[in-house]
Amino acid sequence: MSPIVAYLLYGLFAVGAAGLYLALPQPHPASTRVAGLLLGLGAIVGGLILLGARAMDSGSTNVFFYIFAAIAIFTAARVVTHPKPVYSAVYFVAVVVAVAALLVLQHAEFLAVAVIIIYAGAILVTYVFVIMMAQQTGSAQYDTRAREPFVAVLVGFASMAAVAGRIADPNAMGTVAACEPKATMPANVAGDAASEDTPTQDDPGNTVRMGRSLLGPYVIALEVAGVLLLVAMIGAIALVKKKLPAEARGESPVVIGQVGKEVKPF
Amino acid sequence: MDEQTLRTCGILILLLPLGGAALAGALGRPVLRGRTHWPVILGVLGAVICSFILLGQVRGVEATNSHSVTAVVSVYEWIATGAEAASGAAKWFRVVFLIDPLTCIMLVTVTGVSLLVIIYSRDYMRENGHPERGYERFFAFLGLFVFSMCALVLSGNFLLLYLGWEAVGLCSYLLIGFYYTKPSAAAAAKKAFLVNRIGDFGFGLGILLIYLTFNALDYETVFAMAKAGETASGVPLTEGRFTAIALLLFCGAVGKSAQLPLYVWLPDAMEGPSPVSALIHAATMVTAGVYMVARCGAIFTQSALAMTVVAVVGGVTALYAATIALTQQDMKRVLAYSTISQLGYMFLGVGVFAATSAIFHLYTHAFFKALLFLAAGSLMHGMGGIIDMRQFGGLKRIMPWTCLTFWIGALALAGFPLLSGFWSKDEIIHRAFAHNAILGMIGLVTAVLTAFYTFRMVFRAFHGPQRVPEGVHAHESGAWMLVPLCVLAVGAIGAGYANVEFERGGFLGCFEPGGSFEEFLNPAVIAFERGAGHAVAAADHETEYAGGGHGLMYLSAALAILGIFAAWWLYVKRKGIPNRVANALPEAYDLSYNKYYVDEIYDAAVIRPLRGGGRLAFGIDEYFIDGILWLVTAIPRLLAIMLKSFQGGSLQGYAVTMAAGFAVILLLMLMA
Amino acid sequence: MPEPVTSHYIVIGAALFALGLVGFMARRNLIVMFLSTEVMFQGVVVNLVAFARMHNHLEGQAFALFLLVVAAVEAALALGLVVLLHRRKGTLDSEAWAAMRG
Repeated sequence: MSPIVAYLLYGLFAVGAAGLYLALPQPHPASTRVAGLLLGLGAIVGGLILLGARAMDSGSTNVFFYIFAAIAIFTAARVVTHPKPVYSAVYFVAVVVAVAALLVLQHAEFLAVAVIIIYAGAILVTYVFVIMMAQQTGSAQYDTRAREPFVAVLVGFASMAAVAGRIADPNAMGTVAACEPKATMPANVAGDAASEDTPTQDDPGNTVRMGRSLLGPYVIALEVAGVLLLVAMIGAIALVKKKLPAEARGESPVVIGQVGKEVKPF
Repeated sequence: MDEQTLRTCGILILLLPLGGAALAGALGRPVLRGRTHWPVILGVLGAVICSFILLGQVRGVEATNSHSVTAVVSVYEWIATGAEAASGAAKWFRVVFLIDPLTCIMLVTVTGVSLLVIIYSRDYMRENGHPERGYERFFAFLGLFVFSMCALVLSGNFLLLYLGWEAVGLCSYLLIGFYYTKPSAAAAAKKAFLVNRIGDFGFGLGILLIYLTFNALDYETVFAMAKAGETASGVPLTEGRFTAIALLLFCGAVGKSAQLPLYVWLPDAMEGPSPVSALIHAATMVTAGVYMVARCGAIFTQSALAMTVVAVVGGVTALYAATIALTQQDMKRVLAYSTISQLGYMFLGVGVFAATSAIFHLYTHAFFKALLFLAAGSLMHGMGGIIDMRQFGGLKRIMPWTCLTFWIGALALAGFPLLSGFWSKDEIIHRAFAHNAILGMIGLVTAVLTAFYTFRMVFRAFHGPQRVPEGVHAHESGAWMLVPLCVLAVGAIGAGYANVEFERGGFLGCFEPGGSFEEFLNPAVIAFERGAGHAVAAADHETEYAGGGHGLMYLSAALAILGIFAAWWLYVKRKGIPNRVANALPEAYDLSYNKYYVDEIYDAAVIRPLRGGGRLAFGIDEYFIDGILWLVTAIPRLLAIMLKSFQGGSLQGYAVTMAAGFAVILLLMLMA
Repeated sequence: MPEPVTSHYIVIGAALFALGLVGFMARRNLIVMFLSTEVMFQGVVVNLVAFARMHNHLEGQAFALFLLVVAAVEAALALGLVVLLHRRKGTLDSEAWAAMRG
């Protein structure tokens, strides 16, 4: 991996950072924001082309990856930069769908669907409800200004460069650059499209395997996750419960035993 | 001499007054109140008795040489150094008494006069019969003073001498500033202490030099080595070394005994009550300098320069102080300058190798000067605290006893023949002439002046038309005050006869100076007599008193009478003359009246620069040093201001900081 | 179909994570802040699954599933807290809570 590619990559990161900075909600005209978004888009595209160019020689390009990757990154940028929170939520749905697609490409179908159901179906709905309840106006005063945008962008992209830049280094730890997925399935080294997608006796498909592993080696974690969900549910209810006026005064809301006659236990 | 007796008496002389002082101090205010004088009187009485016992012991010894009459009594070892006695270094951490004729004379004088003064104070420190405020304190301090002075006199090494020296300085400060609420008294006390300090600094240096030279501090060893002219290890001592030591020691004497240029504290010290002036600043403390020089004769006589300095300082001071006393209006001031002048005489005597005469004068001076001060105090007590001669006159009829005793003291001071002052002063003048004619002339002129200003006081205060200040009920003093006055008067008349032989062919037919006092004292101050060592007396001390040798005595007697007559003429007969003289010589009068502006000169030349230096030092401390400290503390403060911004209170700010740290770590880990 | 190199997925995951981080730090609206944390979660999921594929093992995916559970829990509780905070101050501004007391 030549240093030119590394510098190019870093350059694209910088351009993307500049774009993000311009796109963040700040008191400058909309045109600047649009310019920033376009800049960012350009950086994304450039980066992906760069990656694709590298991958071309190893023959492992897949056009869907690049499409969904671009969508994911761009919509994530919009989540972060859109002044109106509802729009941020909707863009987030797009991010989730794009990520799900990426997961499908990695043969993690169950997880992809789970992500869509849980995130887009449950979490996002909750978010949208809270936004609707808490902020009737589309975009409040605090939405139109970012907080320390320069430092935030700098820090974020520094971390990203640190991680992502490893791929440009031939001496990278663990030879990430040379990471190739191992043989997917015992019988499909050459990449038979049909046999990958349809479940066979040897390869029951991702869902079945996930199910087997969840109820097998990871069953305890599963149970704990269940308990966690229960606790969270109770906790959320307890947190947000509004006190009745009587309770706020210190009296008990329901007087036991006064309705009708004495209530005997058992 | 029985050593046990000596030791016991010595210890008692020290501890009895101290015990009395302690009792007066501790129990005075709560318990004893108006009876506080008793413990101190009894203590000092015990000291007087012991002094006489010591005197008897020493007199009982056959005076073959100086060693036979000297007893060195070791009392206890304070710090034992472990060095061998041969080097003498082990000895100086001991409390040692040296008891010889000089000691005995001083002790008798000190304790005797102290006792009389304390008895006198019992009435003096009262107003209308009630004790003054601070009555108990006064007697406690007096007792402490007697202890200190006796320690000074009894000591057998320089360390104890220095201890007593400083302690009497302390008592002087405490007693001058007795009326501490009065600003002038507090200032006078401070002045006394500080000026004495200057002298004591030289004194301390002298003692250090003695230790460096002789490697010992006790009298026996040091004086033996000084006489021999070489140290214990055989190193010969140069005259220059002796001069240095002597002059440094003399610094202390100049301060303590109020000689030129450190005399300025003594006139101001009259702010203290009259008994204090009588005891400390006339009879005992100020004579400590003379005593010290007489004691260290072995060192002083080895240096011609030192002896000359002593004599010249003494003579000049005597004349100088007398000229100032001529114009002072405050009776106590006149007496103070008179004391300075008489101390000058004593130093003059020591300087011309006449130590016995000087000590004799010290002894007689104690009597008549204390008498004069106490009588002046009695007058002041009767006048309600006024002592300015311009405010009263002709008090002979109101205060007959005071007048009589004052007359006797004045006659003795003036040197009227047959009184004690005459015998002692005349001896000094005699020996001064034998040594150097100029010094003798100074002595004679001072004698005339002394007689004049003393009787100026007498005639103005007691004779002429009676004048009493407004609202003052003038009265004679009570018995407690008059009895000591009378005893002192007897002493003023008769003390001189201790040194007079009754022989045919002497002065006025039967008096011959040079009697048992001198014989008794001689072995103790043998260094002066022999004139051994580098310095030699200009003439042998055995001046002929026979025949024409008495001429000087007649001359000094005549001069005294002349002075008295002149005072009578100017202040009783023709009252206008003094004013005319003063108007005719305004500069001379001003110089004399304003004490030659010495205080103002000191203020401008010494005190102001020192104050300025103090302010400079304060400025450096405040701005420079504190500034450095401020800089040192400014660093943490600066750091704090810089770090403050990290804790803004907003969650996202913290998140930014955390993320920044995370990014840095990542970068360092993955890229470096 | 040929699969993209794992390293590409890592880049995507890092990009999503970084974007979420920037959003969390830069936006003042509490809701959008938490939304950005969800974006960070997405990045992590992508990463985990990519590594699972690399090792040909299901551990990464199981991890990602549990991560999903935790994300859901966190979202619920976080939104509950946001509601409470909103009740207190009447605003969703995170700067409203920036005052240091005491």
